[in-house]
Amino acid sequence: MLTSIKPKTRTILLYLLVPVAMFVFTVFVPLVTALVYSFFEWKGGPRKTFIGIDNYIQLFHDNTFWVSFGHNIYLVIACIIGQIGIAFILVMMVNSKLVKFKGMHRTFGFFPSTISAVCLGLIWNMIYHNNYGILNWFLKKIGHPELCKVWLNETGLVMLLVSIPLIWQYIGYYMVIILSAISAISTDIFESAEIDGANGVQQALHITLPLIKNTMLVCTTLCIAGNMKAFDNIYVMTKGGPGTASMVMAMYGYQVSFQQTNMGYGSCISVAIFVLSLLVIGGSQGLIKYLTREKEA
Amino acid sequence: MKKRQVISTVLAATMAASLGMTASAATEVAQNDLAYSGELEIMHYSTSEESEGNGGSDGFRTVLAAWDEAHPDITLNQNVLANAEYKTQIATLAAAGDLPDVFLLQGMNTIAWADQGLIMDLTDTIKASPYYDSYTESYFTPFKVGDQIYGYPVLTGGTCTVVIYDKAMWKEAGFDAFPSTWEDVEKAAEYFNEQGITTVAFGNGGQWQANSCFLSTLGNRYTGPDWFQSLIDKGGAAFTDEAFVKALAETQRLFTETSIFNADFNAVTNEDAREYYISGDAAAFIGGNWDESYIAAALLADNEEKYNNMGFAVLPQPADATEAPTSQNIGLGYAVAINPALADDPDKLAAAIDLAQEVTGPAFSTYVAENYALGGLTSAGEVDLSKFDQITQDFYNWSYVDTEPCEIYDSYINSAVWSVLNTDLQTLMNGEITPEEVAANAQAAYEANY
Repeated sequence: MLTSIKPKTRTILLYLLVPVAMFVFTVFVPLVTALVYSFFEWKGGPRKTFIGIDNYIQLFHDNTFWVSFGHNIYLVIACIIGQIGIAFILVMMVNSKLVKFKGMHRTFGFFPSTISAVCLGLIWNMIYHNNYGILNWFLKKIGHPELCKVWLNETGLVMLLVSIPLIWQYIGYYMVIILSAISAISTDIFESAEIDGANGVQQALHITLPLIKNTMLVCTTLCIAGNMKAFDNIYVMTKGGPGTASMVMAMYGYQVSFQQTNMGYGSCISVAIFVLSLLVIGGSQGLIKYLTREKEA
Repeated sequence: MKKRQVISTVLAATMAASLGMTASAATEVAQNDLAYSGELEIMHYSTSEESEGNGGSDGFRTVLAAWDEAHPDITLNQNVLANAEYKTQIATLAAAGDLPDVFLLQGMNTIAWADQGLIMDLTDTIKASPYYDSYTESYFTPFKVGDQIYGYPVLTGGTCTVVIYDKAMWKEAGFDAFPSTWEDVEKAAEYFNEQGITTVAFGNGGQWQANSCFLSTLGNRYTGPDWFQSLIDKGGAAFTDEAFVKALAETQRLFTETSIFNADFNAVTNEDAREYYISGDAAAFIGGNWDESYIAAALLADNEEKYNNMGFAVLPQPADATEAPTSQNIGLGYAVAINPALADDPDKLAAAIDLAQEVTGPAFSTYVAENYALGGLTSAGEVDLSKFDQITQDFYNWSYVDTEPCEIYDSYINSAVWSVLNTDLQTLMNGEITPEEVAANAQAAYEANY
């Protein structure tokens, strides 16, 4: 029996040492140093001048940063609906008795998650390409050439267009998580619901969803955390453009730190990303808990 | 006092070494005796891919290899990255105070990096160089702070704004040469649009291209060179000055109100846009010398007829511009710089200086002149053009003889200013911000950061 194995505290600590040390050096130390640097004027080079909270005051008035934050929130909402929502629907479909080759669906659904964001950005760049892209080709084929656009140069659409690859990429990832949660639900519950006459949608909404509430909460948290630091596919697809139309916080931080060589302010942006992400995650968890409590009452 | 001693020792060593030089052949570097043995790091962006067809990169790599071979006691450690990655990495290393022994300095970083003590003052060393008399003095300008020089300008002096056009296609459109005014280009666009061909291909997807390969020259047509010099010297010129705003307004008009350019100019990079030209989807292309070398190499390999139809032109003159109609921005954007920490090891410093001198010296110049008809910091004397094909000769004459040089904006001032301007330029070219706002934002960034 597994429960009978009781490792010594020393063994546990020893096992933990490697991942904890890695975590400390790759996450904790950079975060703390970024916090320290954010109080300095540091425009590259060894010279740093302590300027107190000046960087934070500048950040507060920096329109580009807040526009970027807005874009991150857009991404978060689009991806919660797109990634988790579609993943849930797909899981329900895959789990249906009518569907054959379930394993294949699962494997292919997960496939995009294994592609690097950079390759994915390049693939979708080709899809959106105005001359050679499949999207404009399709519009022409169905007799609507007037709808063809230089997609990634459309200021009003560009955020949606960069969200689509992100959504597509991570549907499979959330499918796997949701599938594993659903497989833990006893089949008796579904069978009795079926006998009571509940249809697929009713089962999904009134049985599955409440029972995997905690998993969905984890998915939402992962989704928010992932999208608050979105960078790579946007860097490949638009570099934040046109202008700042698809600028996200991490991209702006990168631009300030490495293109403008303003490391102090760049550090300040990194700290802001961290704090804002915590606030958004905390806020969303509070909101979900509040909403679900209302339902139970 | 100690620093002075070190410098004089180095100078003496370099001078003594230069006396023992052997005559240099195309890829033979001077065999100077160097006391140093051990490792020497150099970081640059002449990758093997880049060097294919690009004379500057090829020459740089060739001379580096020759230098490495000539000095078996020195292990030359090369860290080679593509240009975009190089810029990020060198900025990171500079911020960490961990720059390599020898590296390439971008003109716009000179003032800030010199101020922070990240680059060695090479004024005396350069003046003592055995090749000093052959140096093209004006190439040093972006790497100077006052009278102090911080680098040996490297690679080849190439244009950042050249119009490459297909003579046969333009002949069909009724033009014997590329038009000298935008008005005529607009007329030609009517013809090309009917044919379903893009008149001029341009790519600003990376956001820097509109600045380096368009505005820098177009701006000069409105402001003249004194305005930009005043901006560099903080002599009172401002981005909000009327002449510069006019240049921005003309840029906006050309990209939003005419149908000259490919519709996706803001979404594709110069690498994509030049493919439109190569494939015949566009009748002309605007880019830099790096694009020219790529297009020439690609056409020579696959489509010799189109290669022989290549023509070169300056940016057409706007109707309301009054300055230098044949100007094009040309220069050396990078210089070999040396980490000041090397001052602690005079032998190593002497080796680094020798390396810097050789990769920018006659070995390099002769190689690129003989193989590519290109020029670098050191004059290679009269270039014998007769052995080159007509296109190479044409580009040489266009670059160095027939046109008037002007400055490359982003070789000067600093990256914070250009980053702001470049971002806004993309929006301006979509017609979503006014020229006045762009100018005001650039001016604010200039005042805050320069």
